[in-house]
Amino acid sequence: MQTYNNNNQKHLFKEKKSTNTINQCGLCRGTKLLCGKDRCPVLVRFHAKAKAKPLLDTLHIGGASPPSVFIGRYGYPKVSIGPMIPPVMGDTSIIDTPELWLTKSLDEIVDFRSQLVRGKFAINITDVENSSNVVEYTRELALAKNPVYTDALFEKKPYGRIVFHDEIQPHGPSAPIKTLDITNPKYEQHIEKAYYDTDLRAKNAILDVYNDGVQISAIQRAFSVGAFGVKKHRRFVPTRWSITAVDSTIGAELMKQTKTAPYVNEVRIYTHNQYDNRWIILMTPSEWQYELIEAWYPNTTWNQYGNTISIFNSYEFYEGRTTYAEIGGCYYAARLAVNELLTKERRQAGVIVLREAHPGYIMPIGVWNVRECVRKALTQSCQKFDTLQEALVKVTEIMDIPLQRWINNSAVLKNQLYQRRLEEF
Amino acid sequence: MFNAKVKSDVLKGIIDVTSPLVNEAKFNVTSKGISLRAVDPAHVAMVDLEIKSKAFEEYKADEMELGIDLDKFSGIMRLANSGDMISLEYDEDANRLIIKIGNLVRKMGLIDTAGMPDSKAPNLTLPAKIIIKASELSQGVRASEAVSDHLTLSVDKDTFELFAEGDTDTVHLKLPKDMLVELTTQGKHKSLFSIDYFSNMIKSVKGDDPITISMGTDNPIKVDFDFADKKGHVSYLLAPRIESD
Repeated sequence: MQTYNNNNQKHLFKEKKSTNTINQCGLCRGTKLLCGKDRCPVLVRFHAKAKAKPLLDTLHIGGASPPSVFIGRYGYPKVSIGPMIPPVMGDTSIIDTPELWLTKSLDEIVDFRSQLVRGKFAINITDVENSSNVVEYTRELALAKNPVYTDALFEKKPYGRIVFHDEIQPHGPSAPIKTLDITNPKYEQHIEKAYYDTDLRAKNAILDVYNDGVQISAIQRAFSVGAFGVKKHRRFVPTRWSITAVDSTIGAELMKQTKTAPYVNEVRIYTHNQYDNRWIILMTPSEWQYELIEAWYPNTTWNQYGNTISIFNSYEFYEGRTTYAEIGGCYYAARLAVNELLTKERRQAGVIVLREAHPGYIMPIGVWNVRECVRKALTQSCQKFDTLQEALVKVTEIMDIPLQRWINNSAVLKNQLYQRRLEEF
Repeated sequence: MFNAKVKSDVLKGIIDVTSPLVNEAKFNVTSKGISLRAVDPAHVAMVDLEIKSKAFEEYKADEMELGIDLDKFSGIMRLANSGDMISLEYDEDANRLIIKIGNLVRKMGLIDTAGMPDSKAPNLTLPAKIIIKASELSQGVRASEAVSDHLTLSVDKDTFELFAEGDTDTVHLKLPKDMLVELTTQGKHKSLFSIDYFSNMIKSVKGDDPITISMGTDNPIKVDFDFADKKGHVSYLLAPRIESD
């Protein structure tokens, strides 16, 4: 089923040509610098606009880490690792638990994330057992269950304001770390078990702790510090990559069950609105196939400079895909969310996730947004239809973009509408 | 009872034509040979395979079913070189297939065939028949893969045509009757197909070997060819795409 990819890329290419630099933003999202500039102009603009917090005029910071850690990707395989510390005490756990953020406004999220000061310590990714305090305490923070009092002394004053990324939650200023001290943390018990099992493969560790009910954000944190896996293969994983690794690993495992389950009985539509994003999850009674289509209005995060809507999609058919999704980590985050529901119901379906990002969605806040919004939509009751055609009429009522445009940009919808089955003859 | 000796290439041929469509298959074994019919998970394509006992060097069998995990079987066959003699034996007590490659003995657990349904082939009248050299057809299909995910096949009394259209690029292969091995049709016919499925169907046929295509208008296509020195035969069905709405 890989040939569909060609078609897909071709689509993107065409739109790119007709509107110059505009639409490559949706493919790049600050990661690949497709526009050829040194720094992503979109992200720079956010940084410039971000509320100028009083800069930390100190070399020393102490506070309750939510717990939170950050593993950078620049310089891979020599990366910057370290804790993230807000200069406040008490229960700070919400700051690094995106699962709880849907009730917060964008401003609130930016507000509490910008308090996080990131300590940096350069290290090779394979050196997870390094005897330095920073390495040891960073790992302990990542395994901790509750906020941990953390005390850091920096080489120089933390620099910068708030940093935005596409896939990662924003965070505040950063500085190289000189010394680090933490109070004794209490480990999350399931994660601790996987951490001490040095014969357990990372994939199985992720699945075990997930099945024990540990939140995705906690699994990802432990995964990023190399707490899982066969001992000699353990390594630091940049935060950005670890998020998608966890989403994709769990999603792929759940998909195995999905693919052998009976079909859903009807065409379903689930909807949710959040941060001026409209979400529709369309399920059809068919073999597993999945697509995420994102439409960015002009003036939304990844369509800053255009005056037309840009649409991006990635998809897979029953056989799955062998290449990384064009639209990035959000593809895997949404795939995890829909498979959670299908596994719970022991059903199989063809799933199309439609996202219409309207101008109120002004900044990148991380793929947790995709995962949690799709999860949220799927907890609400669905509308049921007898045919795909009836359901698509409903789609036009919810979305502003005309139906034909969605179909033209969708491989799965085209397949559902146009591909005949042998039993029809 | 099933006991056979066969060249590895014949078994590889069977895997090549079935594995693009299904991961698990139920082979029907009789004293005359082995056959299989399977439909892909999307119910878009069907494979119908027959291989005569003559294709085997030695062959002894009663009527029975073998449920085979094709991915696993294909992995085992990768242990064999081209031309190696493979011996196959069914171990009834353990429901295993004992595969001997030279001095290597590999016992493979079989899948329970009880849950695997018998697929029914649709009743079709396909008025056009084309026999074409594999190389000519696969050239057109390979070219189309680069521009689109579906292609149009059309036929009238003088020509057989293949056409694919992307956003900016197109592919057009036009073969007059005298370049084909055979062309018989009543009237003009045209259907649209997924390139992905279609290319999987023809990719195991090479060079001048003939492929027989039977088609109609907005109807499934039937693709037939022989393998294993004409002692085996494959027949595929592929449902069309219909884009009028």
